[in-house]
Amino acid sequence: MNSMYVQGNSFLHQLDPRTKILFVFSIILFVFLFYDPMFQFLVTVSLLPIVFLSGLTTPYLKTVKFMFLLVFLIITVHGLYNPMGDVTKVTWQLTENLSFKHDALIYGAVMSFRILSIGTATLLFVMSTHPSDLANALVKWKVPHAVAFMILSTFQLIPIIGREAKVIMEAQQARCLDVKANMIQRVKHLIPLFAPLFITSFMRVHQMSQVLECRGFSSTGPKTSLREMTIGFRDYAFLTAIALFALAAITLRAVVGGTLLPITDFVLMSALIGIWIVCSIYFFDFLWKSVRKKVV
Amino acid sequence: MENKAIKVENLTFRYPDAESDTLKNISFELDYGEVLGIIGPNGAGKTTLAMALKGLIPHTVDGEIQGKIIVDGKDVLKHDISEQVLNSGLVFQDPEGQLSQMSVEEEVAFGLGNIGVPRAEMVKRIEKALQTVGLAGFEKRSPLALSGGQQQRLAIASVMAMEPSIMMMDEPTTMLDPVGKNEVFKVLKSLKEKGMTGVIIEHEIERLTMYCDKILVLHEGESILFGTPKEIFSDLMLLKKFKLRGPQVTEVAYEVFNDKEQIPVVLDEAVQSFSKELKA
Ligand SMILES: Nc1ncnc2c1ncn2[C@@H]1O[C@H](COP(=O)(O)OP(=O)(O)OP(=O)(O)O)[C@@H](O)[C@H]1O
Ligand SMILES: [Mg+2]
Repeated sequence: MNSMYVQGNSFLHQLDPRTKILFVFSIILFVFLFYDPMFQFLVTVSLLPIVFLSGLTTPYLKTVKFMFLLVFLIITVHGLYNPMGDVTKVTWQLTENLSFKHDALIYGAVMSFRILSIGTATLLFVMSTHPSDLANALVKWKVPHAVAFMILSTFQLIPIIGREAKVIMEAQQARCLDVKANMIQRVKHLIPLFAPLFITSFMRVHQMSQVLECRGFSSTGPKTSLREMTIGFRDYAFLTAIALFALAAITLRAVVGGTLLPITDFVLMSALIGIWIVCSIYFFDFLWKSVRKKVV
Repeated sequence: MENKAIKVENLTFRYPDAESDTLKNISFELDYGEVLGIIGPNGAGKTTLAMALKGLIPHTVDGEIQGKIIVDGKDVLKHDISEQVLNSGLVFQDPEGQLSQMSVEEEVAFGLGNIGVPRAEMVKRIEKALQTVGLAGFEKRSPLALSGGQQQRLAIASVMAMEPSIMMMDEPTTMLDPVGKNEVFKVLKSLKEKGMTGVIIEHEIERLTMYCDKILVLHEGESILFGTPKEIFSDLMLLKKFKLRGPQVTEVAYEVFNDKEQIPVVLDEAVQSFSKELKA
């Protein structure tokens, strides 16, 4: 399969794509309402049961590691070097002039958990929604048919172009183009690879436009779809829950403000060390697998 | 109005910036229920003619066009392609380049959705079309995960499901391996048995003679021969003049028989003729 969609029959899979889009937006709203690492952390953690119940645990863990790499850099670099807030308030003195500052760490932690929670929500959406359903949902939202098709066809076009690139690469290699040379040489050699690739892709798109014409793509009149999409009880229940949460969050924000609980050094240290630990687990897993591959 | 499936009168076409006409003064007619085979060497203008019959020329490709094309009672030059989807459908040469959807069933459904076929009807037509081309059971597969022959059959099913009066195919087997070719020819044969009206461009003359009622020979944009396979292929000398060959059985028989009437164009006929000759 060339999209990230994972087949399934869970509650999440059965929701209408539009409901799920609203869900992602509401998560974004939640995490931007508050400036409190503990709250962001809670949002992230509360999404994990949904991942598990939707049967997406394995693909989720596989994809989320790239996010952890990013998050690791963000919290470490910001904590060490971000000059924001009170720079004299130090949480963890490493060496004489290298220390994790309190305010900078808060910023790093908030950003990290924002990325993780929004990323998780988006992955939930992408992994549980068939691209065709997404295109249909967009059409229902009055996005032009042609735009929806364009979005959908990227899923199809990218693997085809990838395959073509490989063929061209092999053809050029057969003509003694050294694609495994040093970096500068390789960059130079991109031209004989990309020129034909660009032309074949262009021709392919041109032919596709003719095929589409023949299949009535520009027919006026109502269009129908094979995939049934109805907003049902499930969607209403889910949307109501989201709305209640949103209402509660907005009220809380208005009454208490952006920070819910005082942020202690302990909280910040846990966030930092926690992210480091998860990252090192992924790292050692990667190491272990590459070593095993070499041995076998 | 007379009831012709296709009526072409003095069709002439020139691509922009081309030095000469690609199609030169072509005229022919085809009845409903007949299959027309178009043959000719590379660059003869076969694809160009198919695109003109479908209306891709002049509606998506520029150029100078003269003459008249009536397909299924519609003036192709005057109606936009989207108004002609029920009159004619075209299967292209490149199998993969025709497929745009995420699964086999959606591929077939795509055209139906564009013309607003209700879902219940859609499901029925998809089932029938996939059955006809032998792809039942592949509904959920990605079109990219099919073999070339399967992809081309899927393309045929997608066009067929829209139920156009006339099916057109531009070298549907040229890019396939022998197994894929056989698969597609089997489908074509069954379509012919079901009374399809069609236009097929094809290099394999032996196969063409099996299900074509008329043959049109193109050479450098001119229609040099038009008639039944028997009429066309029994005149081997003329074919040779244009660097074409006849079916293998005809070529052999040509050397054996003196009586022109006796020369077969398909294998079954050849078996009869030869056994009669041998007994005599
Ligand atoms: N888009 C175009 N612009 C200009 N000339 C073209 C274009 N497409 C085709 N031609 C020219 O028109 C002539 C007929 O081409 P066409 O593709 O119709 O031939 P064909 O009989 O289908 O050949 P083949 O057996 O290779 O498919 C060729 O000389 C070709 O160079
Ligand atoms: Mg051609």
